[in-house]
Amino acid sequence: MTKSSGPLRLNRRHFLAAGTSLGVATLTAPFVARADEPVLNITGWGGKWGDIMRSDVGPAFEKEFKCKLQTDTALPFLPKLQASSRSVPIYDVLHTNSNEQWAAADMGLVEPKVDPRLVPNLADVYPYAISDKIVGVSIFTSAIGLGMRTDKGFGSITSWKELWDAKYNGIRGGYVIPVNSLGQAFLMMCGTLFGKGQTDLDAAYAALEKLKPIKLVDFTGAMEKLFLSGEVGIGVIHDSGIYRYDGQNQPIDFVTPTEGVLSLEQVLTITPGSKMKELANAYVDYMLRPDVQKKLAETVWYSPANKKVKLDAKYDARLLTTPEKISKLIQVDWKWYNAQKDEIDSRVNRIFRA
Amino acid sequence: MSAAISQTTSQGLSNERAARSLRTAAPWRQGRALYLAVNIAVLIFLLVPIAIVIVFALNPTPFIQFPPVGVSLRWFEKFFASREFMHALGFSLEVAAITTACASVFGASAALAIARGNLPGARLMLAVVLSPLMLPAILTGLALFQTYVLLDVGRPVWGLVAGHTLVTIPYVVRTTLAVLHNFDLRLEEAARNLGASPTRTFFEVTLPLIKPGVLAGAIFAFIVSFDQFPVSLFLVSPGSETLPITLFNYLKFDLDGTIGAASVVSILLAFVVVIALDRTVGLRSYVKL
Amino acid sequence: MRRAGTGSINGLAFFILPSAMLFILFFFLPIGLMAMMSLLTGNPVVAPNVAFTTRHYGRMIGDPYYLEVIWTTIRIGLLTTLIALAIGYPLAHWMARIKSRAGHALLLMAVLAPMLTGIVVRTFAWMTLLSDKGVINQTLISLGLITQPLKLMYNETGIVIGLVHIYVPFMVLTLTGVIGRIDERLEQAAENLGASPLRAFLEVTLPLSLPGILAGSLLVFALSISAYVTPILLGGFQIMTLPILIYQQISANFNVGFAASLGMVLLAVSLALVIAYNRVLGLVSGQHDLQ
Repeated sequence: MTKSSGPLRLNRRHFLAAGTSLGVATLTAPFVARADEPVLNITGWGGKWGDIMRSDVGPAFEKEFKCKLQTDTALPFLPKLQASSRSVPIYDVLHTNSNEQWAAADMGLVEPKVDPRLVPNLADVYPYAISDKIVGVSIFTSAIGLGMRTDKGFGSITSWKELWDAKYNGIRGGYVIPVNSLGQAFLMMCGTLFGKGQTDLDAAYAALEKLKPIKLVDFTGAMEKLFLSGEVGIGVIHDSGIYRYDGQNQPIDFVTPTEGVLSLEQVLTITPGSKMKELANAYVDYMLRPDVQKKLAETVWYSPANKKVKLDAKYDARLLTTPEKISKLIQVDWKWYNAQKDEIDSRVNRIFRA
Repeated sequence: MSAAISQTTSQGLSNERAARSLRTAAPWRQGRALYLAVNIAVLIFLLVPIAIVIVFALNPTPFIQFPPVGVSLRWFEKFFASREFMHALGFSLEVAAITTACASVFGASAALAIARGNLPGARLMLAVVLSPLMLPAILTGLALFQTYVLLDVGRPVWGLVAGHTLVTIPYVVRTTLAVLHNFDLRLEEAARNLGASPTRTFFEVTLPLIKPGVLAGAIFAFIVSFDQFPVSLFLVSPGSETLPITLFNYLKFDLDGTIGAASVVSILLAFVVVIALDRTVGLRSYVKL
Repeated sequence: MRRAGTGSINGLAFFILPSAMLFILFFFLPIGLMAMMSLLTGNPVVAPNVAFTTRHYGRMIGDPYYLEVIWTTIRIGLLTTLIALAIGYPLAHWMARIKSRAGHALLLMAVLAPMLTGIVVRTFAWMTLLSDKGVINQTLISLGLITQPLKLMYNETGIVIGLVHIYVPFMVLTLTGVIGRIDERLEQAAENLGASPLRAFLEVTLPLSLPGILAGSLLVFALSISAYVTPILLGGFQIMTLPILIYQQISANFNVGFAASLGMVLLAVSLALVIAYNRVLGLVSGQHDLQ
């Protein structure tokens, strides 16, 4: 019995050894193969943004600048950057929302300002894109307002305060505030709506208490799906999340409340330890080019930061493409918010428990 | 106990008849029916979500919807066409394979040492080796993550494999120990009596006999590593992501049938492996934790 | 229980070394470092002035919210374990006793299939079943049995259902091994001596399977208090367990120190429960090994 399993036993051991070495070789191979072209490590969203970057914008950049673009779409980005070595950061360019960019700058993980000499297109952006409320540069923005289903007979909705109406119990949608910037901006809006202003936390907490029952998600993609499936009939969302389904005959619409819409910026920054500074700046400049901005804006319905962009009529009508429309955007104080974040998160976690 | 058994079995045949009549009695039949009913209900509970996953993988609408509107392979196409998913699938398989190999070697050797090595602190060693199973995996991930941060090594792939190996070794140890506890030492004694050296006995008697235990543990190690989430959550890095993490991230942006397709592909892959193993090795007696 | 004699240490003992090294380097050292991080104000590698502090722990003690989170985590773990045991035992028994090889293979695949679907997709499938517009609610509404959707998720019920589904296979596979090793003739002997099948089960099989019950329960409990994906998705982000809180601290608050202290608390709770379990195991079954 044992003798006849002899050859079999040896083969299995050899196989195991061979398999292990093959596995190790395959794992290390990618790091060897990429050594010829310069690689730029960036972050980006998935979904429609990711699709257009992968099929169009990314390859065009790679061709023009003779490099390889490596994009990480696995949220969250900041803890990974925080955990990586300062001298060899895992990202050269960080693309995320303003709140995280401020936190990153605070931790010294990204450079607070972009150099206009290295990024010439900065000269053509709206003032909000490089205001003192922004770290780095905002390449796009969206308006945070209300989304609604049009097939539930809600009539016309005009005010933020209607979200608190009891008739929406069970189909109201919101965000997990500790992890999502729309939720955080919304909290500050509550302070403005029911209190003395963005920094009136007590009024905001009281308002949030009254918002229950509410369905929470951690990212806008999930909120979009809740709207599409009908789980949510009214909720906080940015215009891009609703408009990107244009042409698909979905019974959803975006509401610009009279009290104002908040700004959700897409911001780029460069890491100080990056070894690809030249390429990184070239990428930021590239993303601000009018033709690139137009393509991206018309795919995901973001409002471009470059003043010179001419969007097609249907996009132009609904997005924020004039100085006048842009001025209606409310930019929040992220530096202040991040300083209170621990306390706010503790409070909010307590408020939103089932 | 054994005295009682031999006593009753020696009375065997007449009692057999009595026992048989006992078994056709009403309470027995009702009990049997209840037993089957409960088990079928549990099986349905286990399998309905799988059915949902398959339905969802074939339903063409790009969000959760019930009832399904049709059958389409578009999500499978999207899955196989996606570079991210394919890379994640390949990476998960690689990590699982290396983890399984490491866990098998480390676990089997530890089991041998604990069961047969006359170690002074054998019970403590056993507790140590089983501890990743008893403690939340998220702690293993978190602790390793913080260690790598402190050591300034980033999130290397070997770090991920180390984490996976830690949480899979216990399975190999348990299955190997189970075989070792039922081990018939007389086989080794026989080999020794026939003149084999201790080393030869070890390689030609002991190792082949524990092979089924190690193999069963290896199967669990592979499945657990392939599906591992809490450890991977902290330890994956851009470009080296396991399939569960990729699926989880995909869900943030797109709640469509692609993840159903990913799942169906995983199940089919694993079934092929399990069936193949059952045909060659015969898993019945060995696939127990 | 066959030990290789109680002799002196032999060559095989050195086989423990690889695992011992691995555990020291990748388990005990990291946990020690995590304990250290829980007492620091920041990351000493990047931040220049890092001092010792107990404020992370102080934050927890002063606040009943954290006790609530710990208790929620344990409660969900206990419920999941009990239910998984209740529904896993019959299935494990059937699997251990079934005679046909094909039948066993089918049962094995049925038990392994959920494990192979992947934790993310399984949770997602349960969302499809349990949500307001999900399968169960839509079916019940269309049959006219209810008018408003039942709240099957966004609460602990949904979480427990999901976790039970995910961990029952682990319970079944642990139990089926132990039950399979119980000699069937013992049950037959009891029946021949006049016991009903139920009594034979209660007084012979069940006590003999106790080590398996305890091992399986410990395994499922440890797995369920570590769960992240299922509680967060099926709880609708509104049920807070320790793993969710730990992960939130790392991913959204970048507070590695506080996350470490929460981790140490989770470790302490798990250790306490494991030791208690082992005590009970030793007392009840008279054995000293988790086999």
